[in-house]
Amino acid sequence: MHSQWVEFINNKVSGASAVANAPEVGDASITISPAHIKNVCLALRDGEHQFNVLQVITGCDWPEAGEIEVTYILASFIQNTELLLKVRLPRGTDDNLPKIDSVASVWKSANFQERECYDMIGVEFVGHPDFRRVLCPDDWKGHPLRKDYVVEEVYNKMVVNPEHKMNIGEREFGARHEHLDGGATSVDNYTTPEAN
Amino acid sequence: MASEHKSETTQEYVKEERLKTDLLTVNMGPQHPATHGVLRVEIKTDSEVVAEAIPHIGYLHRCKEKHAENIDYRGVIPFCDRMDYLAAMSMEWGYSLTVEKMLGTEVPIRAQYIRTIVGEMQRLASHLMFYGTFAIDLGAFSPFLYAFQDREFILRYFEELSGARLLYNYIWLGGVWNDISDEQLKRLENFLDELEENIKKYHSLVGENAIFIGRTANVGVISKELAYEHGATGPVLRGSGIDWDLRKKRPYGIYDKFDFNVIVGEGLKGTLGDCWDRYYVRMMEMHESIKILRQCLAGIEEGPIMGKVSKVLKVPKGEIYMRTECPRGELGYHLISTGEKTPYRLKVKSSCFTHVAMLPELGPGQLIADFVATIGSIDIVLGEVDR
Repeated sequence: MHSQWVEFINNKVSGASAVANAPEVGDASITISPAHIKNVCLALRDGEHQFNVLQVITGCDWPEAGEIEVTYILASFIQNTELLLKVRLPRGTDDNLPKIDSVASVWKSANFQERECYDMIGVEFVGHPDFRRVLCPDDWKGHPLRKDYVVEEVYNKMVVNPEHKMNIGEREFGARHEHLDGGATSVDNYTTPEAN
Repeated sequence: MASEHKSETTQEYVKEERLKTDLLTVNMGPQHPATHGVLRVEIKTDSEVVAEAIPHIGYLHRCKEKHAENIDYRGVIPFCDRMDYLAAMSMEWGYSLTVEKMLGTEVPIRAQYIRTIVGEMQRLASHLMFYGTFAIDLGAFSPFLYAFQDREFILRYFEELSGARLLYNYIWLGGVWNDISDEQLKRLENFLDELEENIKKYHSLVGENAIFIGRTANVGVISKELAYEHGATGPVLRGSGIDWDLRKKRPYGIYDKFDFNVIVGEGLKGTLGDCWDRYYVRMMEMHESIKILRQCLAGIEEGPIMGKVSKVLKVPKGEIYMRTECPRGELGYHLISTGEKTPYRLKVKSSCFTHVAMLPELGPGQLIADFVATIGSIDIVLGEVDR
């Protein structure tokens, strides 16, 4: 199935350089070059494979590779198929976020999905009709789902986690137990009902 | 003086007198009783008519996706509960299926049956909740009380099974936490007979009521094209006349064993895809859930309730996207694993989030009261929208 789609994309959009990734477990996906995302989406929607629904746009941060991976999950409710379409963008900096073309004109559902992706991961979608944060407040700094995100100490003159309200002793107790291998509440000591 | 004016309508009067008119901004919410949680909709109104509706969400945002990156795979399950607190079992089930598929775990058949039972009961509870709150949105209070009577049975039943009324942590990776007794199954059977009669009664009480039809028929019409464009799923999609149910189209669990129908809106009282159709789909779906539950009760087998899952869970490297049919629509989990004890990235595709995105499209041109009906009919839970 995926090889068929890769062939289709490469035929329709020159320069898309689509490659199929087939992992040992889980779902296969297709990676394309970010510059052609809009054309590829249009071709997939209108072409013979009829991907008429965009389910999700999600991002994943890979700091070691210095890349952000944006995944477009498309589904065809006509042919009952689904496709994970990926692009990889350089991570960029806070002032210079990675940029990619918006597909809000292809599927209307992309509108909120792209806003969420920007809010959480920090990808700028060029040509989006209403580009702002969606879950966090507008004056929020940073993008929480990046791996290097640090919670701010002060937000709007309000101190986050003020010391007099935090039970530090209890927190340390919990942390010690969670992270210590072999601790009472450590992962290794979970019990589950025995399988008969 | 008014008698000097020839104009008959307000619009003509405004034109004649060259009055300056402007849109009035009204904030609906965040704590409006008809908004199903903390949703704020900024409405620009032209007298009683909505000219623009901008939803503001995020008041319940807790970033569960970030939490999930820091706890082990089993620990994520309680967090799934808290996303959609009215359908916690369905949320757990979706997550468990996702991880089990990555691990290749085989779930024992009894556990599969129990999962289907609690999943369908959760659908009943959620749709009963919809029935009650939708009627409240439209100004009828007593249906809410009727619905809560039956919902209470389900909540108490779940409490016996899991120890909690709303947030269960009951479906675990590999199976379920607690076994179900024969006495409980017997009790469920009696309840289903009662409920079937009740739902018929409820439907005749509200669905066939002339005022209710007047308030919902031809209101908030979502066409097939719009539903596809916005990626609508679940009863909203089926209300628009599209025959799509994951339990039939991509069966998960043991849904391929059961015989049930997919209810599709037909535009019986007005236009296809209006509020009444969405109401109708949910009410009739409850009958199908009862049908599935009866088949479960007939087919449930003795056996273990927990499959073999290693104590220290390490999910193999890879990624997966798994969709399940929740009461409110399709729930998807996109899991990326790097072979560690914790998920590297867990994205939750919420159906309510996509449905909220439809409000700016549906609002303009409606009366404010009809807009409330539209919000009620798409049945959103803000916990799932914001995650």
